[in-house]
Amino acid sequence: MNTTVIELTAEKPQPAVPSAKLLKPLTGAEALMQALVEEGVETIFGYPGGAIMPVYDALYDYQDRLNHILVRHEQGAAHAAEGYARVTGRAGVCLVTSGPGATNLVTGIADALIDSTPMVCLVGQVAMKLLGTDAFQETDVIGVTMPITKWNYQITSADEIPEIIAKAFYLAQSGRPGPVVIDITKNAQVELMTKAFHYKKCERVSTYRPRLIPKQDQVEKAAELINKAKKPYMLVGHGVLISKAEKELLAFVEKTGIPVATTLLGQSALSDDHPLYTGWLGMHGNYGSNVMTNQCDLLIGIGMRFDDRVTGNAELFARQAKVVHIEIDPAEIDKVIKADAPVIGDVKEVLNRLMPLVNENDHTAWRNEFRKYDDIEEEKVTQPALAPTTEKIKMAEAINLLSKKTNGEAVMVADVGQHQMMTSAYYEFKKPHSLVTSGGLGTMGFALPAAFGAKVGDPSREVIAIIGDGCFQMTLQELGTIAQNKLPVKIIILNNNYLGMVRQWQQLFFERRYSFVELQNPDFITIAKGFGIVGHTCAKREDLSASLDTLLASETPYLLEIIVEQEENVFPMVPAGTSVADIRLE
Amino acid sequence: MNTYTICIFTENTIGLLNRITIIFTRRRINIESLTVSETERMGVSRFTIVIKHDSREAVEKLVRQIRKIIEVMAVFGYLNDEIVSNEIALFKIATPLGSKPLDIEYINKNFNAWVVYWQLDYVVIEKTGSEKQIFEFFSYIKPHGILEFVRSGRVAVGKTEKGLVEYLPEYEWEYYL
Repeated sequence: MNTTVIELTAEKPQPAVPSAKLLKPLTGAEALMQALVEEGVETIFGYPGGAIMPVYDALYDYQDRLNHILVRHEQGAAHAAEGYARVTGRAGVCLVTSGPGATNLVTGIADALIDSTPMVCLVGQVAMKLLGTDAFQETDVIGVTMPITKWNYQITSADEIPEIIAKAFYLAQSGRPGPVVIDITKNAQVELMTKAFHYKKCERVSTYRPRLIPKQDQVEKAAELINKAKKPYMLVGHGVLISKAEKELLAFVEKTGIPVATTLLGQSALSDDHPLYTGWLGMHGNYGSNVMTNQCDLLIGIGMRFDDRVTGNAELFARQAKVVHIEIDPAEIDKVIKADAPVIGDVKEVLNRLMPLVNENDHTAWRNEFRKYDDIEEEKVTQPALAPTTEKIKMAEAINLLSKKTNGEAVMVADVGQHQMMTSAYYEFKKPHSLVTSGGLGTMGFALPAAFGAKVGDPSREVIAIIGDGCFQMTLQELGTIAQNKLPVKIIILNNNYLGMVRQWQQLFFERRYSFVELQNPDFITIAKGFGIVGHTCAKREDLSASLDTLLASETPYLLEIIVEQEENVFPMVPAGTSVADIRLE
Repeated sequence: MNTYTICIFTENTIGLLNRITIIFTRRRINIESLTVSETERMGVSRFTIVIKHDSREAVEKLVRQIRKIIEVMAVFGYLNDEIVSNEIALFKIATPLGSKPLDIEYINKNFNAWVVYWQLDYVVIEKTGSEKQIFEFFSYIKPHGILEFVRSGRVAVGKTEKGLVEYLPEYEWEYYL
């Protein structure tokens, strides 16, 4: 196998022609590179290894057209691809080797599936004749990734490459987006195509036809319920952002006057300062937003899936209300909450068709009913969190100050745990596509790689990662990637020396039996310095503002460690398995 | 517990069986029987999967999840009274010298079962019918000594006027017929 690779290398250089047709036969690896270029891919997050070496060799000649970012662990590649996809709307691309290279992607793939994130993973595989022989670094990647991909496929001949790559991108990005894994055997990478390379973007797969345009009768029924409702309430999810329907949402909200809450991943679909925005939903969402789901007479779910962290006990959720459910994936209809008027279609298309059918309305009185809960929350939760009397800094005040200093316009990449909930609660999002976090899977270690992925995807925006001391140690090796590629990501570690969310649960539900949640942490600043990243620690309230200024002013990547109150709890909180009406404020 | 028959039309490709069964496994639904074969359309397979479940709603959700698989064209779930179904069973019956003779005529007339192969010491009887009919015959033939017994699993067609393939997306399929 190795000799073949060397011979092929000797035939180089072979500059790829940027046209659709290349007459000289290409190797599979070259065909793959050319296919990515023609698909419009700009960035690849990857890590080389034995079974993908022919592709990396071809990549050597494509460095001017494909920006390859060498990560430090394949999980980092997967999360970076997710971060990239979440801010651009285009599929993130990972390139890794067989066996451990592929299995290290698994967490990221599962994360992308549950959060509907488009991703194409290109994975090396042993040569076809070695399949099933327990060859070196052979893993059944198709089998392993089957339950966590939207689609996967094994390429065993070079000729298949253009068509399958086109199909992979189409499937990953269309309908309800998701991850696609393409397993490419080594022989398919080195052999020559037997026909001229021709790339055609995929626009249709005969057995897969997501409904984008809703059925008119469904739209009409939904409009009728919306027009009749006295206390309508809109729950906005990730689907609005995926569909890039923020403008349509805003117009719809302003015409109908309906109060709006978002899910965790729906955050930033509507500006936080909009008068009809009531806050966010879910286990740690706002008091009023949660309680009112059980008082409205019509619930309009838009591009969301009634996750159990949103509904609490689903049997006690919004039983008084009729439900309109606007969703692109038919399998989500009636999955958790029965819909009286399901509308299957792309959110943007549905809103455009609903718009002329709904009446202009004013629900100010109903909107004001939320305010009494807002006042209670303000008094019991927000004020104490933002004007604390504690010696140490509180997470909430740090996030809140950051929000003010960035004018709510940064891309916040939150890891998983208390700091994630605090980011969602205390950052005032003003621009869409501004919260990148692992919602469905709750993957600790997501934020650091996702942050540089997001920065690569949209260099024009300030990208700030909010990470806990526990999460940071799961993927901290990606500091190397950030440093090597000079990606000016701003990293904030909120350090409470605990696995804070687990500790909170142990305190509240396990009688303060703190079982393995205390961490002996390394010196994060020294670690960053070792990677060539500057930073400092902020432990005092009076230094907080200046510390954030230093972080934001930095033109290079920067790490700010903030020592926060050790046993701060996140409230409001809907305890698992209870009704949203049982939300606790303390 | 009701019996549901799920008919799935798919592309005939590698690994699809796995993708489909994963959906059952994840929801802890046991598969009672499963048959797969290519249909009259080239490259289109038809799965017939029988399950038992006490919640119609859960079966509907299962069907919707199967529909999401890219290579799946259509999925239909049925209760027993909505389909015509059959199985085929083969019985290998011991016929050693001196044993009680098999009443082949009786078997033909009363059970619609046929001897399809015979040797000195055994015969193979083929019986087609519902699961119930097959087990009735099983009880009858058991005293003769069953050396081997196998059922094919259910195949079924819907009791609708249209054939199920009519519901499939119309594309450039080649037909065998």
